[in-house]
Parts: sequence; structure tokens; C-alpha cells
Amino acid sequence: MEVEFPLPSLGADMESATLTEWLKKPGDRIRRGEPLVTVETTKGLIDIESYEDAQVLEQLVQPGSKVAVGTVLARLEVTGAARAPQAPPAPQSAPAPPAAAGTAAPASVPARAETPGEGVTRHSRISPAARRRALELGLSLEQLGREAAGGIVHLEEVEKLAAAAPAAPTGARAAMRATIGAAMARAKREIPHYYLGHHADFGPARDWLTAHNAALAVKDRLIDAVLITKAVALAAARIEGFNGYFRNGRFEPSTAVHAGAAVAVRGGGLVAPALLDADRKDLATLMQDFSALVTRVRAGHLRSGEFTAATITITSLGADGVDALFPIINPPQVAIVGAGAIRDQAWVRDGQLLIRPVLTLALAADHRVTDGRSGARFLRAIADLLAQPDAL
Amino acid sequence: MDPTALRTKLLSLLAGVAPDIEPGSVDPERALREQFDFDSMDALHFATAVSEAFGIEIAETEYPRLASLHAAEQLVQERLAARG
Repeated sequence: MEVEFPLPSLGADMESATLTEWLKKPGDRIRRGEPLVTVETTKGLIDIESYEDAQVLEQLVQPGSKVAVGTVLARLEVTGAARAPQAPPAPQSAPAPPAAAGTAAPASVPARAETPGEGVTRHSRISPAARRRALELGLSLEQLGREAAGGIVHLEEVEKLAAAAPAAPTGARAAMRATIGAAMARAKREIPHYYLGHHADFGPARDWLTAHNAALAVKDRLIDAVLITKAVALAAARIEGFNGYFRNGRFEPSTAVHAGAAVAVRGGGLVAPALLDADRKDLATLMQDFSALVTRVRAGHLRSGEFTAATITITSLGADGVDALFPIINPPQVAIVGAGAIRDQAWVRDGQLLIRPVLTLALAADHRVTDGRSGARFLRAIADLLAQPDAL
Repeated sequence: MDPTALRTKLLSLLAGVAPDIEPGSVDPERALREQFDFDSMDALHFATAVSEAFGIEIAETEYPRLASLHAAEQLVQERLAARG
């Protein structure tokens, strides 16, 4: 069956993208979950994965072209069993559902195994250092496209281009800021947030981590963020109302827990790609996934599946951060957990004054779905899980 | 180990871990966390790269000794000297 392959929406308020590179040419076979095409968005390069086993018939858009969401990029001949009728996501509606039933949205869960670092440099025609400099200079990929046609763009070419075309009015960095602003404005406009905070004794988790890591080579060690992510994912799987999407006027719970991990992009902005099935993965696997995800963020090259799949988000300001952060929900999700810096603080237990590493958790949740009572259960569940790290 | 060769090697490891920073812009004395917003995952990636490139053990409690380029140089020199 012949189908069209449209540019999907890869998040709230994405309207268009610039096609960077075709990864398959006409005649090539492509498997479900395999990347077909790379596009540049305000959040960096993203490989868009095929949602079917298919053969590429025709490419309809050339590299360097900027196209709107919903524009047909290619025609494919589906070779496997067709899943669903073709329906390009409407650019004006709510962001394309990560797991849209009944439409042919690109696979939200890549079928192939994730290999750390894979795809990071293979398709990049602009070196990451050059990309960062281009961001600073306000040069867009479209401007760099001509340079890229001749091979890999390095820092030198970027500087040359900047000298030739000074003072670009809007840069990619400004575009990312605008994208974040639009999504957060929508969240604040549409979602009645409520906020809860809770202090958790991170001592048991810290002791467990120290003992666990002592026996391991550096590359196999775990970090705090992985334990916190697993605890949030498990709590989200157990306590209803915090995992899924609010769409079309109602809450659609998700059985799978795909934990969005907010990762800061150097020089400004952030992205929150998903750690798929975070509640079901053991800590070592989750750590590998997390590590590979950060590597892809650093290289500015994510995948469409992980970009849109998150069913709940976790954000942290890290060791240099402040005690607490009260985050804004990433629509159409219904909850986000903020983790503050873990700090030694005075802690009273059984009438004793102790010094413990304390983690301040904050929850922002959607009042259309839950209320403070279930929110409190959810936050306590996270703290309880962190108190029993063997259970993670 | 020759200090220049060591610095070059560490800068290339840093570039591998954080391809979005320009190696020429690294201030050897300043903490990477402060200079480049290194998070705990970046720090772990750098520690892994250093450990594997020089074949040295780095305990978790020693991560602060990789805080800056200069600190990392001292740690590596120390370990290589101890190995003889």
C-alpha cells in the first residue's frame, strides 16, 4: 500500500522544520523505527523514524527546504501489514500525540535497540562546536546549508559565514527560547497547576549508591539522577493520575511510563527527551539510556521517538542548584517533578537531631486530573521508594 | 608524561565528552561545571574517558579532582608517576 510520510509535530507549538538530510533514498527499504530523514528544529537536529516497514518511492522535499508540519516529505510503499490509514497531523491542533491511536504518527517507540552514541555523528554535517558557534552568532541552518552541501561545516566556515553576513536578526538560540516560551505560555494558560513540596532523606539512596559504585568501573557507575528518575517512574506507574496526557478535554492515562528527562542545552534552553519504559528498566539499563540521551543532546541530535514520547517529566538543577524548583507542566502531560540540589541539612528523626543529605521534591500537577490529596500520595511514594533503594 | 601531550590528550577527551564546547576556549584553572555548565552526567563521562584513556582507577570520592583541566592534569600525572 502506498502512503504519504508527513512532517510530524515534534512537540507543543512546533510549526515547521528545515529538512537537513535524507537518510534513505528512493528504492531503499526501511524498517519500522529506523530513521528516514533528519530535520532541524528550534531544538536541534532530530532523526524522524519510519512508522512502518516500507520501501521509499519518492522524496518530495529537498534538503535545505523549510516546510510546515503536515507537509508530505515522501511517498512510501508499505511492505509489512499496514497499521493505520494515513492522516497527517494538523498543524493548528494540539501537539501531535506521541502515541496517537488511529493515525499514522511516526513510531513513538523506536523498534530497534538503542545504541549509545549511534547516530550522533553519522549524519551531522556541521560539527557540534561549529553548531554552537553558529547559535551564538545567530546563524540558522538554512544559512549554513550551502556550506554543508560541500561536506562537513567546521568552526572556520561558520566564522567565515558570520563575517560575510553579520548581525543576523534572529538566531537559532532565540528560536529555541521562543519555542520554550510558547509551550510554557500555553501550559500556564491552559493547565490549572497546583504545587506540592516534600523533603526526602536521601541518605539511604546515597549510602546505597556509594556501596554500589565502589565495586564498579567508572563507566558502569550510577548517578543520583537515575535513582530519582526510577523512583518517580515507579510512583507514576503505581499512583493514578500523573502519567499520561490531557487531550480533547479528558485525561488519557498511559500504561507505559516514558520519563522525560529535562537536560540543559549549553548556552541556553533545554530539551526533555524521554527515557522509554523507565519504570520497567533496571538501574544499569536506565543509566545507559540516560547516558546515551545526554550524549545525543550534547551533539544536538535527537530522535523523533524519544522527542515526543514522554508521559511525565523530571527536572533537576543539579549539584549547583538551589533547594527547590517548582516546574511548569510540559503539555499535554499532566505532571512534572522538580528535584532540588541534595544538601546536608538538619533532620529530626525519632526525637534525634541528625545531619542528613536532603532532597527537596516538588510536584506540579494538573488540577483537571488530580487534587492535592493524590498529589501528596504521589510525592510521598517517591520519597518512600528513595528510602528503600533496594526496591528500585 | 610530557605536559603538552597530556593537555592535548585531555582536551581531546573533553571534546569527545562535550562536542558542543570549543577546546580552544577552555580555561584550565576554572571548574568545568562553572565554565561549561557541566552536569553530573558530563562529569561522569569525563571521568570515564580519563580513566579509560590512561588506564587509571578513579574512585567516586576523587571526582572533585577532575573539576578543572588543570586539576585533571595533576591527578593523571600523580597516577602515572605512582605506577612508575
